[in-house]
Amino acid sequence: MRLPQLITVGVVTAAGLGILAYASAMPVAYHNAETARLRLSWSARPERIEVCRQLSDSEQAEREEHMRQRVECVGNFATYALTVEVDGRAIGESVLQGAGLRHDRPLYLLRDFPVPAGEHRVLVRLVRRETTDNDAAAFAPAIVSAADTGIYAGRAQREATERGRRARAAIPATLVLDTVVAFAPRQVALVIFNTERRMLQLHSESPRR
Amino acid sequence: MRSLKRLLRRLLAGLDAALTRAYGWERNPVHQAGTVAVAMLLVLLGTGLYLVLYYRVGAPAASVARIAADPWIGAWMRTLHRYSSDLFVIAAALHAARMFAQDRSWGPRTLAWLSGVFLFGAGMVCAWTGFVMAWDSFGERLAVEGGRLLDVVPIFSEPLSRIFAGDGPVPNAFFFVNLFIHIALPLGFGIGLWLHVSRLARPALLPPRRLMWAMIGTLTIASVLLPATLGPAANPLHLAATTPLDLVFAWWLPISEQLPAGIVWGSGIAGVILAALIPRFTRRPREASWAPSSVDARLCTGCNQCPQDCPWEAITMVARDDDRPTLVARVDPALCVSCGICAGSCAPMGVGPPGRSGRDQLASLRESTFPSLANAGVLPIVAVCCAQAPAAHLAALQARGAHIHLVSCVGNLHSSVIELLVRQGAPGVIACGCPPRDCVGREGPKWLHERLFNDREAELQPRVDRRRVSIATLAPGDLAGTLAAFDQFSGALAALAPVEPEQDVDIELLCEPVPFEERAP
Repeated sequence: MRLPQLITVGVVTAAGLGILAYASAMPVAYHNAETARLRLSWSARPERIEVCRQLSDSEQAEREEHMRQRVECVGNFATYALTVEVDGRAIGESVLQGAGLRHDRPLYLLRDFPVPAGEHRVLVRLVRRETTDNDAAAFAPAIVSAADTGIYAGRAQREATERGRRARAAIPATLVLDTVVAFAPRQVALVIFNTERRMLQLHSESPRR
Repeated sequence: MRSLKRLLRRLLAGLDAALTRAYGWERNPVHQAGTVAVAMLLVLLGTGLYLVLYYRVGAPAASVARIAADPWIGAWMRTLHRYSSDLFVIAAALHAARMFAQDRSWGPRTLAWLSGVFLFGAGMVCAWTGFVMAWDSFGERLAVEGGRLLDVVPIFSEPLSRIFAGDGPVPNAFFFVNLFIHIALPLGFGIGLWLHVSRLARPALLPPRRLMWAMIGTLTIASVLLPATLGPAANPLHLAATTPLDLVFAWWLPISEQLPAGIVWGSGIAGVILAALIPRFTRRPREASWAPSSVDARLCTGCNQCPQDCPWEAITMVARDDDRPTLVARVDPALCVSCGICAGSCAPMGVGPPGRSGRDQLASLRESTFPSLANAGVLPIVAVCCAQAPAAHLAALQARGAHIHLVSCVGNLHSSVIELLVRQGAPGVIACGCPPRDCVGREGPKWLHERLFNDREAELQPRVDRRRVSIATLAPGDLAGTLAAFDQFSGALAALAPVEPEQDVDIELLCEPVPFEERAP
């Protein structure tokens, strides 16, 4: 290879590699510099709206022993109306329901709302759409039957505990978060559902990896 | 489709010529695009093995940052991994574009095309997982977009996007699955590559050794001098204003982010279907220049040369249905790409595509070339050129006084044509073919050289003065090289005594069919 060709090879190769290096990590705009976000993210069980009745002793006797549930319930999973307001202006309204074809899976929510940077009053409201005349039924005490003997002793208590646990794990009939948030540019203010305290919470800690 | 092909052909010709001017045709990477992709795959495997030793599924961003901060090995090893993946994408795309533009994407090449589409797609998925593994702002951007797209497909019990919402650390399982896919897919590449070349005889999997090591060495130096940028660690609760985006792989990302997931899926699926249907759209009727080779059983001596020379393993030797004790060649039309290389391999001129067998070539020479040269008095130097040659090169040779005789590929050229030309009075014959790695017939220039100078069947007969025969390469962008070869040949011929034309040369008679009795039905 002669010198001029060597120089050409060097220049072309250097240019090619320079383009490759630049193209492999080209800075490209992602998010508007002035905008922040309000993000709603949680997964929780929707409440089950049921009509429960206690089975009579004769109904119980017709069933196999292991099928003798003291209380039998029929019903559906609740749906919820979500409203998001920033400074009194609604920026998001929708109806939420459990996932799955029968909507019996947890309710998964992930919504992002752009919010201008600065201090804003944020209101998030989640209200159950269905009404029930007895929200306390799920927490009703156990109705003990004399038929629950042997290995089935205490079944009524266990059923009541389970109903109560499910009800406590479900989303309450009304959830409201009304707070003032100072949004830094490109900050994400995250609203989550605290399953322990059964309330909406603003979460701003960043989980790092 | 035709106009797209023409456009691509023009663009590639320009790139081809520019790179030949810079590097010379022997080292032109465009001619090696497919093998460069394989070489880059090997570099990716090598560097990937090192990187996986230091990658931590439990702390992806921190472990990659630690690798990138290691100035001795980690930084350039990671950069080399990145650059070679980019080069893999470029080389593979270029290879596919060339195959498409050169009409090499249909018929017997359908399997290679489809497996190539699969390999390219798998490479893109592999690259996607690789970028996500680094878990910097670009990895997060890709993951978020991937989650958005996957969430419209009901395959996960919980929407994937929620794990990037920021209400908890991204689970280790996510990074483990990424790592698994990133490693498992390249293992599958072996099968894909085997399928890709399964219909080729003597597939060239790697570029010439010197070129390959020069490329790897240069990329390594570039990796040391220009380390790849690593974006800030992913932070779901802080929106990055910009991300370092790998344009080679993720040029589509800013567009995709603006579109509904359904449209992105639709476009992607349509793209894959379109790519898979290219063999259907580009196929040609198997007639005229696309007609498969056929064998004249009366002429076949069963020498077994054409199966050896066929670059697509389309010819096999089978038992004859007459009384002769030899085998006979049989061409499988489903595997034959009509390159005509078998025509140049057959001494008795009994095989070849219709109109391009050795006997057809001699007839064409007698019927058209000699009468047109008859008025010239003294025959000029004959340049037997590949029909794929650039028009500028042909015109320049003609301007130098050469008579141009076109063949579909120099591998198609039968040595008897050269013998006839020389014995009929041509002072010299120069066979001008494409660069060896740019031959549409794959092995045309190689077999031509072997047949003319190394006694490979059908060899140029000893009675032909080798000083009157030469080979040159017609590479777009290297007209000077072609003309230099011609001038050198022409100068050497000037020193020789004028050739005495022979009368009534009948080469075909030397290869008369052996009489045989047709077997009774």
